[in-house]
Amino acid sequence: MQSFDCAIIGTGPAGMSAALRLSELGATVAVLDRAPSPGGQIYRAVAQSPLATPDKLGADYLSGADLVSAFSKSNVAWMPGADVWHLGDDGRIFYSQDNRTQELQCRQMLICPGAMERPMPIPGWTLPGVMTAGSAQVMLKSDAMAISDAIFAGSGPLLYLIVAQYLRLGIPIAGVVDTTPRQNYVAALPMLASALRQVGMLFKGLGLLREIQKSKVPFYRFATDLEVVGTDHAQGLRFQQDGASYELSGDAVLLHHGVVPNLNLARSIGLDHVFEPDQLAWRVKTSPFGQTSCPHIWVAGDGAGIVGANGAKHAGELAALGIGCELGLLDDVGRDQLAEAPRKASAGQSGFRRFIDRLYQPAPDLMLPTRDDTIVCRCEEQSLWDLRQGFQSGARDPNALKSLTRCGMGPCQGRQCGHIVSGLLAKWREEPVADVGYYRLRSPLRLLTLEELARLQDGESAR
Amino acid sequence: MFTSLRGLSGDLVEITVNGAPLQVVAGQSVWSAMALNGFTVTRKAAVSGQDRSAYCAMGVCFECLVEIDGLPNQQACLRRVSAGMVINTQHITEASEVYHAEL
Amino acid sequence: MKSDVLIIGGGIQGSATAYYLARHGVSVVVLEKDYVARHASGVNAGGVRLLGRDLAEVPLSKASMQMWQTLDEELGHETGFRAQSIVNIASDEKDMQALRSRQEIMRAEGHDHERIIDQSELRDLLPHVSPECVGGVTSSLDGYAIPYKATVAFRRAAERLGAVFCEGEELVGLRRVGETWLGQGRHQRFEADTVVNCAGAWADQIALMIGDNVPLSHAAPMLMITARMPHFAKPVVGAVSRQLSFKQFENGTVLIGGGAKGFADRARNATRLDYKKLAAAARTTAEFFPIMRSAAINRMWAGLEAYMPDNLPVIGPAVNADRAFHAFGFSAHGFQMGPIVGQTMADLVLKGQSRYALGAFRVDRFDRKVL
Repeated sequence: MQSFDCAIIGTGPAGMSAALRLSELGATVAVLDRAPSPGGQIYRAVAQSPLATPDKLGADYLSGADLVSAFSKSNVAWMPGADVWHLGDDGRIFYSQDNRTQELQCRQMLICPGAMERPMPIPGWTLPGVMTAGSAQVMLKSDAMAISDAIFAGSGPLLYLIVAQYLRLGIPIAGVVDTTPRQNYVAALPMLASALRQVGMLFKGLGLLREIQKSKVPFYRFATDLEVVGTDHAQGLRFQQDGASYELSGDAVLLHHGVVPNLNLARSIGLDHVFEPDQLAWRVKTSPFGQTSCPHIWVAGDGAGIVGANGAKHAGELAALGIGCELGLLDDVGRDQLAEAPRKASAGQSGFRRFIDRLYQPAPDLMLPTRDDTIVCRCEEQSLWDLRQGFQSGARDPNALKSLTRCGMGPCQGRQCGHIVSGLLAKWREEPVADVGYYRLRSPLRLLTLEELARLQDGESAR
Repeated sequence: MFTSLRGLSGDLVEITVNGAPLQVVAGQSVWSAMALNGFTVTRKAAVSGQDRSAYCAMGVCFECLVEIDGLPNQQACLRRVSAGMVINTQHITEASEVYHAEL
Repeated sequence: MKSDVLIIGGGIQGSATAYYLARHGVSVVVLEKDYVARHASGVNAGGVRLLGRDLAEVPLSKASMQMWQTLDEELGHETGFRAQSIVNIASDEKDMQALRSRQEIMRAEGHDHERIIDQSELRDLLPHVSPECVGGVTSSLDGYAIPYKATVAFRRAAERLGAVFCEGEELVGLRRVGETWLGQGRHQRFEADTVVNCAGAWADQIALMIGDNVPLSHAAPMLMITARMPHFAKPVVGAVSRQLSFKQFENGTVLIGGGAKGFADRARNATRLDYKKLAAAARTTAEFFPIMRSAAINRMWAGLEAYMPDNLPVIGPAVNADRAFHAFGFSAHGFQMGPIVGQTMADLVLKGQSRYALGAFRVDRFDRKVL
């Protein structure tokens, strides 16, 4: 079995910058990602874009190429296509690569699971043709594929960025339906002063909005009561705006209202989590260096609380320094000296982050379903009504509700319904989400064929 | 409508989707190869049997499960096409029986 | 809080005992340190199995099987019970010989619910079985249920009759003062005339508070379940001499057991899985049923279970205290016995006796063997 000082899971900005720093410090580093090339979601395929004009995606995207290139030249053991299915608190990692079940051992483990889009459980969100706005960007980056005449609905910087990218690429858009609640502008105002320290970021955001407003794409603000129109596939979106009803036709509906940490990797190890009230999401509990409740396991980047691409890069460096110190490659003083720059940089961004978090806090009625027949668990097709029945039968805990209704038992392992179920139970129990808890998760981290598991044996996997 | 903005069209490979032979760009995701050719239904929902399609395109929703070369439950957004690949919409619901032909 | 009976443990034994006591108008409080059906009762394989039982358990198990047939109506809630035959597969002639010897003993005791089948009948029942398997034994009285639902069904039925369940309440002290049991929970105090210990993997600690010392050990039997597959096996499947066990539910998912054990961490309320053993279970399953090779495993888990040295439960009165009773140590086959154990405990509490022979299940049966 291969053995490393540190194994890093994920090659977004956090994973790549941590890998670079750790290998500089002299650690043996394995880096695993199921993707064929490094970059994570944010810098996906940046080194070999299939687009004729990748510059239309913006300078932030292209800037990832430097990090990817440095990473590719480094001497880490990069394992592309390594599809991890088990992370153990004993430092053991099981993964499949090229149809073989592999196993490696590490002294320290750094998990960089990144973020995923917060599900938006509105009526009709399971219809074909309803996707996330982030998926539109993923498809552009990796396969140069676009959806024409789609309706973009929701709120937040990523939504506006994707719309702007579509506009620049000349892809027709049926409309943009903004759900940022009016009161968010008021609530975010006190945070504006400290956000001004990142005035460049602020202007970037305003620039995107201007790009959208200048275009001829229909743009609606303060929309509520969203509902997908269509019987066997999405044909449009119905919504309310200031008491009036609107119905917009489109070939697809692309939803987005912010991102949440991708929880399953850290949850499967049983790491302590906290519910972050500013971001309305669970995150792994970490020290400033990313150390978790299990001292040799570290989490960096959006997985430990949404920080964005630059924040993730700094968090990756900090984690690498913490790990380097544990490995004896540098002492406390050296660690703290090197940590000063990334620490300062991430502290400088926190004011802006708080402002954005508050301004684009999702509307409560879009985070939790309001109509009885709205599906919560996409895999097992459990609706709000089904879950309420389960709760009324005495299932007060997310795991009890799961056992009773099968909500969260399907292939996505609660990735889509987890936050919704915690939120619903908190509402019904009239208790904080933090007290309600979350699903207990275990390996495998994804569907694992019996044959893949069967191949795990002392002889073969060590080969 | 799914459309391609691909700069250079790369090498083509032949795959089969739901029995139809297709020429597609090698290395793209199974999902994009399907969607660009009008095959947007990836699976039937396990309980109701309703049509489902890709939702997140990044591996966290498991809606795009298809059958690839006879192996069910493959995430079309994560798998890449290769020459000769046979892809089918996944039709496993609670009522599915194993066909006798497979005995 | 005062009641006639204080039950410790909200698993299926505790919940069923609460139900049968409440049905007789007895006031009952159930203490559960986590939530009802959190451990073995909620996460086991759900086998409602009479086949292959230890002879000492057969009378109770048979009676319980009768009760399962009408349990949904009795409780007014779904338990997920389905009558379904079980087939234990014989891989070779040696297995068949073992089956024939057991059948002779069973017949002599007057039990005729097990029936040996040959290879062609095996293939009729399980068309996808490997052609190398030579036969097996089947019992048509068996079935399965959904563990969490069944346990909660008892709880809800008991609550309807006035039983009180305190979840998140751990018993930290228990004393007999005069004619009364005084229980100290983390949050409240409890008073009762009688205590019933149904504390599963923690039952030895409660037994100690009562005054009885038992050699209970713990393990974490592991299970895995697949995403839905087209239906290919109706009966519940086991093997005579191999660690094979699976069943395909009506919804198409396949639950794979086999008895492989992970690590029980009772202090942390947790279990750890042994992946090499799960891989061995996967190989055995694929060997007997090649169709399972492409199955997609969706979840793996283990429950905290209590074992007695002879793999038989403790069912009966405490020996070192009055008005205290035990039902625990079911050694990974107690789920099926839930209904009859609940009724038996109610009989013991109310009448001081049961119509079943409980000698094999005495709490002190290991005391006498120690010098």
